[in-house]
Amino acid sequence: MRRLPGAITLLAAITVTGARTTRAQQPALARGLDLERQGSFAAAADAYRSVLAAHAADPAALLGLERALVPLNRSGELLAPARAAIAAGVSPAVGYAVLVRTWSAVGPGDSLRAAVEHWAALAPGDEAPYREWVGAAIGRGDRAAAQAAISLARRRLGRADALAPEAAQVAVAEGSWTTGAVEWIAAIRQMSGFRFAALAMLSPAPERARPDILRQLEQDGSGEGRRLAGTLVARWGDPVGGFRLVASSLPTENGEAVERLNQFLEALQLSPAAAATPARQARGMTLEAIAARTSGAAAARARMLAAQAYADAGDAEAARRMFDGAGAGREPAAPASAVGTAVSVLLGEGRADEAERRLQAARAGVPPEEYASLARRVAWGWARRGELSRAESMIAADSTVEGLAVAGRIALLRGDIRGATARLRAAGPYTGTREEASARASLLALLQRIEADSAPAIGAAFLALEKGDSTAAVAGFVGAAGKLPPDRGGAELRLLAGRIELARGRLPDAERLFRAADQEAAPATAPAAELELGRLLVSLGRRDEAVSTLEHMILTYSTSALVPQARRALDEARGAVPRT
Amino acid sequence: MKRRDFVRAAAGAAALAPLGRLPRFLGGRAGPWILVPMDDAQSDHLKAYGLAYRALERGVRVEWLINYRGGSFLLPAESAAARDAALNGISTEAPDDGRVTRIRGEIQQGNMDAVPLEKAPKVAVYAPPNAAPWDDAVTMALDYAGVKYEKVWDPEVVAGKLPTFDWLHLHHEDFTGQYSKFVLNYAGAPWLSEMIQRNTAMAKQLGFANVPAEKRAVAQRISGFVERGGFLFAMCTATETLDLALASDGVDIAAAYADGTPMDPDAAAKMHWDRALAFQHAQLELSPTTPSYSDIDGHQVNAPDRRQPLGSFTLFGFSAKIDPVASMLVQNHRQVIPDFYGLTTSFTRRTLKPAVTVLADEPGAPWTKYIHGEHGQGTWTFFGGHDPEDPQHQIGDAPTDLSLHPHSPGYRLILNNVLFPAAKKKELKT
Repeated sequence: MRRLPGAITLLAAITVTGARTTRAQQPALARGLDLERQGSFAAAADAYRSVLAAHAADPAALLGLERALVPLNRSGELLAPARAAIAAGVSPAVGYAVLVRTWSAVGPGDSLRAAVEHWAALAPGDEAPYREWVGAAIGRGDRAAAQAAISLARRRLGRADALAPEAAQVAVAEGSWTTGAVEWIAAIRQMSGFRFAALAMLSPAPERARPDILRQLEQDGSGEGRRLAGTLVARWGDPVGGFRLVASSLPTENGEAVERLNQFLEALQLSPAAAATPARQARGMTLEAIAARTSGAAAARARMLAAQAYADAGDAEAARRMFDGAGAGREPAAPASAVGTAVSVLLGEGRADEAERRLQAARAGVPPEEYASLARRVAWGWARRGELSRAESMIAADSTVEGLAVAGRIALLRGDIRGATARLRAAGPYTGTREEASARASLLALLQRIEADSAPAIGAAFLALEKGDSTAAVAGFVGAAGKLPPDRGGAELRLLAGRIELARGRLPDAERLFRAADQEAAPATAPAAELELGRLLVSLGRRDEAVSTLEHMILTYSTSALVPQARRALDEARGAVPRT
Repeated sequence: MKRRDFVRAAAGAAALAPLGRLPRFLGGRAGPWILVPMDDAQSDHLKAYGLAYRALERGVRVEWLINYRGGSFLLPAESAAARDAALNGISTEAPDDGRVTRIRGEIQQGNMDAVPLEKAPKVAVYAPPNAAPWDDAVTMALDYAGVKYEKVWDPEVVAGKLPTFDWLHLHHEDFTGQYSKFVLNYAGAPWLSEMIQRNTAMAKQLGFANVPAEKRAVAQRISGFVERGGFLFAMCTATETLDLALASDGVDIAAAYADGTPMDPDAAAKMHWDRALAFQHAQLELSPTTPSYSDIDGHQVNAPDRRQPLGSFTLFGFSAKIDPVASMLVQNHRQVIPDFYGLTTSFTRRTLKPAVTVLADEPGAPWTKYIHGEHGQGTWTFFGGHDPEDPQHQIGDAPTDLSLHPHSPGYRLILNNVLFPAAKKKELKT
């Protein structure tokens, strides 16, 4: 269990009291700190003792002695120096705090309570003595003692929300999640910084406890409860719902509202599912809300970030609404990132013409390399629509390796096998992202087995695939495969068709195609087909068949580069390793 | 003949006999061999144990070349073993008879030995029915290596099924019946509630007044299994709590939440240490809220003010020809291994019985890591810690994927224990 408040108290005490250390004591203190850093705690303790021998009320030396003795499991030796420091007039916030922690470590009982009572008498109305007491009990895992101390403190101090953070920790540790939620709200009202601690403590709540927690938080009238509820809802897998809760409880003042929205944005980014589509959508909504409450450059920036988030989430309409609102991509002076976002969104909608128009309009403000990169993307956008000549004209002057890679793919869509092979090979193995390079290598592996210079049917199948018409693509690849010998591209095209069917979830068709691609006459393709088939069978729970298939692959094609992957799949099929 | 004497005699004969006069079961036949190197030439140390185990299952006689290239295996060439190695990515060599003769000569002259492995031991893992397989290092090692095992729990133990096995493994079970002392710190956690419910129901079903009483009875059955010739391997908190349960017969060492009455404050003075396997004179932890049982564990991972940092432990070297049992248990390609926490991480020297053999310790530290001993006609081996490749294992952590740790020296120690009973004659008195 965490002891945040205790740690805060200790740091504050060091900061406040450190200044009282005299110059004469500095060398021994510095030696003690050095020894602590080196892990020589026994020697550090001796150094601090030497300071205390001359100045019993030195707070830095007393706290240093505590730090040194605790890891040595010699906390009991602190009792005498702590008492001496108190007698010599050290601040109660230091002396009694050390005494309370020490009694707690060596044996909580009457002495511990007496120390707290003395301290409380010196500082009536102060939570600190009770906080230290509760913190010590929490540290021992003694929640009953912690709860009793909290109750006593609340009676004595006359405040039902005293020690709310500690009460929240105890409640949560006992599984009383709704009580914990109520206490955390009280704690946040006292200090807004507790919001993060509350989020961290309430997030692990089991699913069955969550509705009650949210009900409790939403009942809070301050808005803090609803905002915390919203953040928790986002953390528990519904970021859009979380945003709606947060948005419904924003302060009317724009500055405060933006601060709360930024906090939610930060929580979204820290969420384990930050890269998932709902989180991106919620990010877009939050940024849009920020843009609505800001003006000028800040608003424009928020809109552009919102547009990007919406685009990442696949919400093209919202993305366009954002960059339209920001005016991005239309004016010649629009920043390159804004143009890039606009082009991405428009290409995502299949609107290559509008994307090209906006790119040309912004050309003067876009650095040449960025422009060339965007032009290649627009060219590929034209190609995906089947307008291959237009696509080629966009990159006609582009002699970079990236340009060759795009040109090779466009040639493939034409069915120009020889031209595609030459350009893709010239683009080399390192151009573009790793995924692009990997896809290019796979394409080359396929094309180099096809002897014909031109194969329009294969090009048409690839074009159908780019247009999202998987059915036509599969039919095209299978049809083309039927006209090619297995080792001259026939098996490889069936394997490709099987992978498409697998991605579409048409598993029986995928299985049939993988089996069709697994031909002894195509030894370069068969291991990949058997590996795909083995994985598919594992996923279908047909483990015996999977084991048999994978064993065959490993033993028959023992020199294949795919053997390590097959062994991994075999381990999964046998249940020898956890599923990934 | 005691087991140790048998092993010594059989192993010595194997190592010293000239190749041409080797008994048939030791491989005295013409033709090539399969050598499974266990030094850095091996591509998957853990699966190599599975290869040896499966060969034994097929009736093939395997020799364990103790201290030779990290504890290599030698077996007659057969297509099934070659297939097994290819499928599992296990490195093998194919020495001819001349090279095998030279290897035997080298073994004869050095601190090495060739121990014949006779039969695949029948393995049982003690675990509740709902135990996640990945939460137990041994089941993960067995699954990864491909060694068969059966799961047993309290009903099977109480019903007397243990004598049907050669080797029994225990992991993080709390035989004091206090649910690893998690009750107060994890109150409300669903997994803990289920654990309490399941154990309480089982104690009632088996006719015991409470869970601590039932677990003590189970511990006594396990001790009896060892006494009659069984092999016991325990890790993590099963080591410490098994002995505490055995030594606490008639003494209340369980907190009130477990049996309804508080722990006897004088429990430590009343313990019957003569009934324990490994430990004696331990000081018991009296606080029900401190997740620690005694000062047997040197690291005290869950007691923040006592917790000790992790270091590394060193395997002891033994004379292979004089003490083959201890030698088998420490076969490895690494002698210094990073330590790892468990509810019981280590065993303080002060609490070890004098007859205990220390197999590994942290030099200069007051604790040991890996210990072994005899009890009646059987043996036990205790290995501290939870998961050799997850040094700070937390509840709910992702499972360790051993395909990412195929050379794990810590896991090798576990698998040494699995094969070690194969070197012995079956003597269980059922």
